[in-house]
Amino acid sequence: MTDSPVFIVSMGMISKLGSDSAESALALRHNHGRFTPLTLFDAGPDGPLPVAELTDLPVVSDPPRTHQLARLAADQAMAACIKPPEAIILGTTTGGMPATEIALEKGIDDPGAFRHHGVGTVAEDLARRYGCSGPLITLSTACASGATAIAVAAAMIRHKMVRRVLAGGADALCRLTYFGFKSLQVIDPAGARPLDRDRRGMSLGEGAAMLLLSDRPRSKDDLQLLGAGLSCDAHHPSTPHPEGAGALAAMQAALADAGLRPEQIDAINLHGTGTPDNDRAEALAVNALFDGSPPPLSSTKGFTGHTLGAAGALEAGIACLSIQNGVVPANAGTRTVDPALSLAPVASATSLSVGTVLSNSFGFGGNNAALVVGKPRVDRSGPGGSPARPLIVTGYACLSGSGRTAETLAALSARDTCRGCLSEPVICRDLNPRSVRRLKRLSKIALALAEELRQDVAESDRPQVISMGTGWGALSETSDFISRLQASGYQFPSPMDFIGSVHNAPAGQIAMLMAAKGANLTTSGGDYSFEQALMSADLVTRGSIAPALVMGADEAHATLSPLFDPSAAGQTSLSDGGGAILLRRGDTTDGVRIALAGYRSHRQPDAIEATIAGLGGANALNDRFGAILAGMPVAHRALAMEQLDRFVMQSGFSGPIIDFRPLTGEFATATAIAAVAGIHWVNTGTCAAGETGGHPMNLDGKGVLLLGLGRFITATLICAP
Amino acid sequence: MEKLLAELKEKIVEILNLPDVAPTDIRENEPLVGGPLGIDSIDVLEMVIMIEKDYGVVINNRELGAKVFATLRSLADYVQTHAAEPAS
Repeated sequence: MTDSPVFIVSMGMISKLGSDSAESALALRHNHGRFTPLTLFDAGPDGPLPVAELTDLPVVSDPPRTHQLARLAADQAMAACIKPPEAIILGTTTGGMPATEIALEKGIDDPGAFRHHGVGTVAEDLARRYGCSGPLITLSTACASGATAIAVAAAMIRHKMVRRVLAGGADALCRLTYFGFKSLQVIDPAGARPLDRDRRGMSLGEGAAMLLLSDRPRSKDDLQLLGAGLSCDAHHPSTPHPEGAGALAAMQAALADAGLRPEQIDAINLHGTGTPDNDRAEALAVNALFDGSPPPLSSTKGFTGHTLGAAGALEAGIACLSIQNGVVPANAGTRTVDPALSLAPVASATSLSVGTVLSNSFGFGGNNAALVVGKPRVDRSGPGGSPARPLIVTGYACLSGSGRTAETLAALSARDTCRGCLSEPVICRDLNPRSVRRLKRLSKIALALAEELRQDVAESDRPQVISMGTGWGALSETSDFISRLQASGYQFPSPMDFIGSVHNAPAGQIAMLMAAKGANLTTSGGDYSFEQALMSADLVTRGSIAPALVMGADEAHATLSPLFDPSAAGQTSLSDGGGAILLRRGDTTDGVRIALAGYRSHRQPDAIEATIAGLGGANALNDRFGAILAGMPVAHRALAMEQLDRFVMQSGFSGPIIDFRPLTGEFATATAIAAVAGIHWVNTGTCAAGETGGHPMNLDGKGVLLLGLGRFITATLICAP
Repeated sequence: MEKLLAELKEKIVEILNLPDVAPTDIRENEPLVGGPLGIDSIDVLEMVIMIEKDYGVVINNRELGAKVFATLRSLADYVQTHAAEPAS
């Protein structure tokens, strides 16, 4: 089996450079674009900083600005496409935050006002718009999000999971990021001047870029996504590794993936934010990779500003424009290049025949992504080869209102409730007080899960890849940051809370705890966030032997959970927790196997039938599975019950069905706890009885099927060796 | 000055949530950042906000921050000198 090539058959982009590809190409050729003082919202007592704001975009809150930008870019990419994409993979950090922060300030307490809050709702909005009924994955890996999304999307095509994916990134300016980065003192008051001797930081921007990726070209000129590399610094929550070790690893992985040597790269689009630390670390990494003589390079953030989750996608698009137009863009804003960097960025747009471009994106949590785009290579024989071996479970842990792993599994196995919220001291039992002093609830839950596994596993099974799903992210830090910001009249934001508020903060903390320097992914898609994490981990570890940690966790927050999570809204008491599973590639005889076998929208007319078919049909399903764990979020319970009835009718399944949400309580990643319970049952050969207090049931060597129902239908297989 | 030093020690331990540090553990003339107290660059930024909020003294760039937060005494000196200035 050879890997499929990944063609970029169309793209759309919007940023300060222009409202589409043609305008952007023209602006890049003529070195157009500079920053203007922020007008979108009140900049507080210090006055507005320079930003790359899209002043022509109407200011409305429904849909939120990030969704609007994603639509504008995606409409361009989909313009000539009749068929819907089979999957949408999107990188974003803000999601509905531009509207949420306003609603919170106004004291609105109607959950309906927050229905676009989740970062996953941007992809859902696009899926509705183009009729996509396949899997959606939202990567929220800070400033690496857009590039990470493209890397995951490319893997889907490479490994023939789908043939056509819409992938990219979007982020709008909002108060949270503006005041957050300002509190970190990484904004240059004179406007970003990447690589300049006098640089003092970045300038924020906003925008979106979407690429339609396909396994076949639409025209002979279509470019290819030749390679992608992901890594994690595992060094610091917000500062890059001083020598750029993680950046170098990501670039090396991207080149290896593309099958290219450094001298075959014609140009580099740097991450180049303009912060002293980033530019220094990136320069060291680039010089190390290219042995001191890199190809022509520039950062385009002097034009676009730093568009955060959109940046990686936008710059992949700019890399395509570079190749298509034979122009290397200028490193805008820079007057005197910092001699300490030993780099010679392109001073003015330069005509040059460009066949391959390396594009870098690095973010908080030490998350790094590098992409290689280029003209199709006829000589390319991908790493490909044999199909990936299955993912085998080597360890598991979970945490719920009833306690840690042992207590939670005991409760679920007796079909008892484990609802509620565990106290902080119990969560922090094994954590070093000094290393968690700045962390709030979600990061502590995630670290507690990771620490429990770390203590139990052999050195060789320690994970390199971390993939964490979270429905709502770090709510405590988000809430504390916004309340203090608003209470102080936009004067005293907390830098600590800002760093902790990003969705990928917990996964970054785990990477530091585990010294995990492989891909570090954070996915978020409401009730299906855990499934997204499992699918992403599977995709980025094909053809690798790196052990992976796949997990799901959410925190309950008294104010925000009922506003954001429609299933938490009507609950008399909140619940939280999560589950973590350690995986490595192996043979089916090596241990319990886990795999995502279905992920589709409920709007697909035959979603249930297709799911059953994907499991090998009714007979195979009954032969393989002794029990079903059914996840039915209470906000969509009527729909889910109908789906479950249909599933049982169509499959003839007669074993026990464990409706786990009433046991775990209502939170987005309760699915991760259910997955751990399923693994535990398959491991021990018995599962929860049909009713509370009943005798455990023998699985007779069969597996457990974890069924996600509601707005999406997911099927996760947990199979015995 | 002694009162300000004592007050700053209390505030630092509290806002940085230093679990095993007592206010008296902070030595006035020893490096505040990067030493055994475990205070790092993120903590400096959090202290910057506290100094601005509680004393009206603005430390708006990292170079200045590195000088001001060198030791507790340099911080107290800076706060005392600049807190008296009329708001510009």
